[in-house]
Amino acid sequence: MTPPSLSTRRSIRLVLALTSALALLIAPASAAERAAESRAKEQELIRILQSAAPAAEKAIPCKQLAIYGTPTAVPALAPLLADPDLSSWARIALEAIPGPAADAALRDALARVEGRLLVGVINSIGVRSDAQATDGLVAKLKNPDAEVASAAAIALGRIGSAAAAQALLPALSTTRGDVGSAVAEGLILCAERSLAGGNNAEAVKLYDAVRKANVIRPRIIEATRGAILARQSDGLPLLLEQLHSTETEFFRIGLRVARELPGRPVTDALVAELGRSSAERQPLVLLALADRSDDAVMPAVLKAAGSGSTDLRLAAIRVLEHDGDAASVPVLLEAAVDNDARLASAAKVALLKLEGPAVDADLLARLPQATGKTLQTLLELAAQRRLPAALPAVLRSIESPDPATRRAAIEGVGALGNEAQAADLVKLLAKTSDAPARGDLQKALTALCARAGTRCVPALLPLARHTDSELRMAGLHLLASVGGPEALAAVTRAINDADEAVQDDAVGLLATWPNNWPDDVGAAEPLLNLAKSGKKLAHQLQGVRGYLQYIQENKRLSDAEKVGQVKELLTLIQRPEEKRLAIAALGTLPTASSLDLLGTLANDRAVAEEAYLAIVAVAPSKRLTDVSPEMRRKALQLVLDRSQNNPTRKKAEGALNALK
Amino acid sequence: MNPSRPTRTPAAPPPPAGETSALTRRGFLKTTLQASAVLLAPQIVPGSVLGKDGGIAPSQRVVLGAIGIGNRGAYVLGCFLQEPDVQFVAIADVKAARRNAIKKLADTKYGNEDCATYRDLRELLARPDLDAVLIATGPNWHAAASILAAQAGKDVYCEKPCTKNIAESFALADAFRRTGRVFQAGTQRRSLPNFAFAVELAHRGKLGKLETLHAHPGGLGTSMSGWMAPETAPPNEEVDWDLYLGPAAWRPFNRRFLDGFNFEKGGGLTGGGCLEWGSHCVDLCQWANQADDTAPVEYEPKDGKLFARYANGTRLVLRNDGWLPLGSCPVRFEGDRAWVETADNGDLVASSEALLQGKGAKIGGYPADFHVRDFLDGVKTRGHTRANADIACWAHIACHAANIALYLNRKVQYDPRKNEFIGDEEANRLRSEALRDPWRV
Repeated sequence: MTPPSLSTRRSIRLVLALTSALALLIAPASAAERAAESRAKEQELIRILQSAAPAAEKAIPCKQLAIYGTPTAVPALAPLLADPDLSSWARIALEAIPGPAADAALRDALARVEGRLLVGVINSIGVRSDAQATDGLVAKLKNPDAEVASAAAIALGRIGSAAAAQALLPALSTTRGDVGSAVAEGLILCAERSLAGGNNAEAVKLYDAVRKANVIRPRIIEATRGAILARQSDGLPLLLEQLHSTETEFFRIGLRVARELPGRPVTDALVAELGRSSAERQPLVLLALADRSDDAVMPAVLKAAGSGSTDLRLAAIRVLEHDGDAASVPVLLEAAVDNDARLASAAKVALLKLEGPAVDADLLARLPQATGKTLQTLLELAAQRRLPAALPAVLRSIESPDPATRRAAIEGVGALGNEAQAADLVKLLAKTSDAPARGDLQKALTALCARAGTRCVPALLPLARHTDSELRMAGLHLLASVGGPEALAAVTRAINDADEAVQDDAVGLLATWPNNWPDDVGAAEPLLNLAKSGKKLAHQLQGVRGYLQYIQENKRLSDAEKVGQVKELLTLIQRPEEKRLAIAALGTLPTASSLDLLGTLANDRAVAEEAYLAIVAVAPSKRLTDVSPEMRRKALQLVLDRSQNNPTRKKAEGALNALK
Repeated sequence: MNPSRPTRTPAAPPPPAGETSALTRRGFLKTTLQASAVLLAPQIVPGSVLGKDGGIAPSQRVVLGAIGIGNRGAYVLGCFLQEPDVQFVAIADVKAARRNAIKKLADTKYGNEDCATYRDLRELLARPDLDAVLIATGPNWHAAASILAAQAGKDVYCEKPCTKNIAESFALADAFRRTGRVFQAGTQRRSLPNFAFAVELAHRGKLGKLETLHAHPGGLGTSMSGWMAPETAPPNEEVDWDLYLGPAAWRPFNRRFLDGFNFEKGGGLTGGGCLEWGSHCVDLCQWANQADDTAPVEYEPKDGKLFARYANGTRLVLRNDGWLPLGSCPVRFEGDRAWVETADNGDLVASSEALLQGKGAKIGGYPADFHVRDFLDGVKTRGHTRANADIACWAHIACHAANIALYLNRKVQYDPRKNEFIGDEEANRLRSEALRDPWRV
């Protein structure tokens, strides 16, 4: 951005100075002090306005007079209404300053200014609702400048008096285009004022006049809305007329007003209308009806949810989702087992979201007698709504001959059961050979174990000892998910399982034994053993990785202690793959000994580049407090001199420069 | 009428006692809907409205225009364009480069040259074929353009902050009620599941009695808009300076004003975070407090924070620090039994993990597509959107009142029913500001 010019800077300084002065002025003070300071400020602002200062320096003072000005300031502001640069600023003050002086200044300007400045003055008169300006505004209705005439019409509307309305009414038939629209708007504003004053008859008269006038469609729509509401309950026929209209805009305003016009007869009529509407319009009428608040609404919604077109039923179901209660359960259950997938899905969502104990009780009461798809739906709902009382009924269905029902029941046990049901599910798993069914059971067990934790271990141990390898692996995974010493022991034993696939699984579980880190400290020893004497290279690498993870995640160890344990590990490993894992761990542990160790590892050509990269991570670290700057530089210089990797050397160079 | 005591333009007859709940009830319906807003929002419109077999009948398309589309607007417009029932046909922008860029975007999408361009928004609004407009001009124009659009018979999705002062907030709500048009403020967090879930916890009493709501305003500075030295104005065809200024008081061209995002934000008080972020996070607090039809009654700047209080006793604190690292626009709702905090990364943190059961999928990054869909649903059903003009009105009033307290640097008390700062003439005068000719709201 280019620097501001001298004059710009001057203007900015002025604004800042005034704003600062204002800030001082508005610092907390007593009301009396504030008043005195306001008067002083006003005098200063008036002085600026009456000076020969350029317009740029008078704009903000105008704005401040909106807050601090009194009638005293009006004579300084009034001449600015004719100034194209400052008129809008002056009106900010004159609109805000209370009292007749500002009104008079604006009225006087009606005869002094023209064009857009006059429009602005008229708008301000409208905002101030100055009834004394009525005659002047009426005269402007015939101004050849359409913007002036339009502004006058709307200002008269804002005044909203009987005189204003009487002046506007004849203009409705003599004006066209934008002015005609403004006259209509003015009359609508007058009607609102009448309505607020309790004069509904006058409001109806004005709204009807606009409705029947030759003005643009939006004004007629607004007047129609007003005409219905102003008639109150007598507005019903006019509302229904809109709902019957073949023109979209009128139908739409009908939908809007159907939500606003109060009264039971209106609701009853809308219910009847629902039955008469076209299939396309029925859902829209229903949604409007649903936004009303009386007792006649819900029966109609329930009826619509159970019969009619799919679209109507969908709309009704979605209303029940938010407004329904126990009375909605039957119709929703019926829809939930409908062959139309959209209906079934919407109904299930609604049944899930219905609130209250009465809904739960209703669903529970239906479970014992339910069959087929209804039973399946109820089982799913029991699980999703977390209804513990449903557990006995759910358990009765876990061996149902119907696969869908069985599956829903098993999912239900997973959601609702405890360690006792874990044993049931394990037994069922042990005698199930079907792969998808096993998957469902394992999923349910996983969910159940996630809640019950180590209390499930006794139920799971038999699975880990089963003769079927697949089940042993399933048991090991479930045990690993709950953790604890017994689970760890079972997984460790499985490293020597007769089946190689189980061994691999057990090694994988042990190497990623994160369940209760660092509480499961018992994982360290089997991991170290695995690193030292695993049956396969892959097992040993997993052991190294797992042990290093154990070290890094162990919050009980300091960085120095962790480096010590990595150092010990390094005495047991020879292969570059394992050393790289250790180097990566050292790179996260910024201590003097890790830097030293990395320097040594850098002499091993097979892992030198990994060591250089780790040195670049450790040497600049702010956590590295026990190493002199000289030692850091030396380590980084080593990397710069020896690394063959350009990105690593660039990092070393950057770190060295930062150290300088 | 004494201008220091403006009252709202009456718009509709007050319903009889006990029947005022039509809107309120719908508000509650919306509230309960929010908890699953993401999953359910696309399902709100009945299939028939959307047409059969995934195809959209021409009569069921929402024909859309846009006004003032820069960076943010282009993102929101993208959300509209991905909806199959939207047909975008026209752009109005005072800046040639921007209107041409949007035309190129639209023409590329549709494979034609049909997107019309306008410099003057009034020409676009005069098109009878438009159902709705997206307004993303900059705060200076938001309320005035929205009201013009409503008066032209268009539904409006408008970016925030939607108004420059309290009077504009009421004018906006009045205009949309009077015209029966549908309005959606661009406060898309109302349609996001993490915020909705936190609000739901408050509404269902899971937090106990609500005591304190916290909002991150993103700065509490206020200042006045100004006037800078004149520069040579570009041709109107390139940047129409008069239209750019629109309702703002006149000043000579200076290209530094062309940052529409910040120009005249907050009107008389150029606003800072109270409006920019408060229109989101204060709005969420209003929602949590079931205060969508009112605003706090007391505002006090103190120790770099703004402390407000609702009539029901719930406190609202606007503060910039002390937040959990959950991203931008954080809110925190504290009851006498529990609390919850959430922000734009989509995470929820609560005093008890159990409170968060059923929170659903995490959606970070505050996308606007659910909110846009909600608006389109409203256009078709004529129902109330999640951030309709009444809701936006009161949320903005809360922000403006806070801004006024900050500007005056003192405690102010506000009567929402009378729209009056009690015993504070200066605060009352800050409720409105004259618009430059020929504009009005």
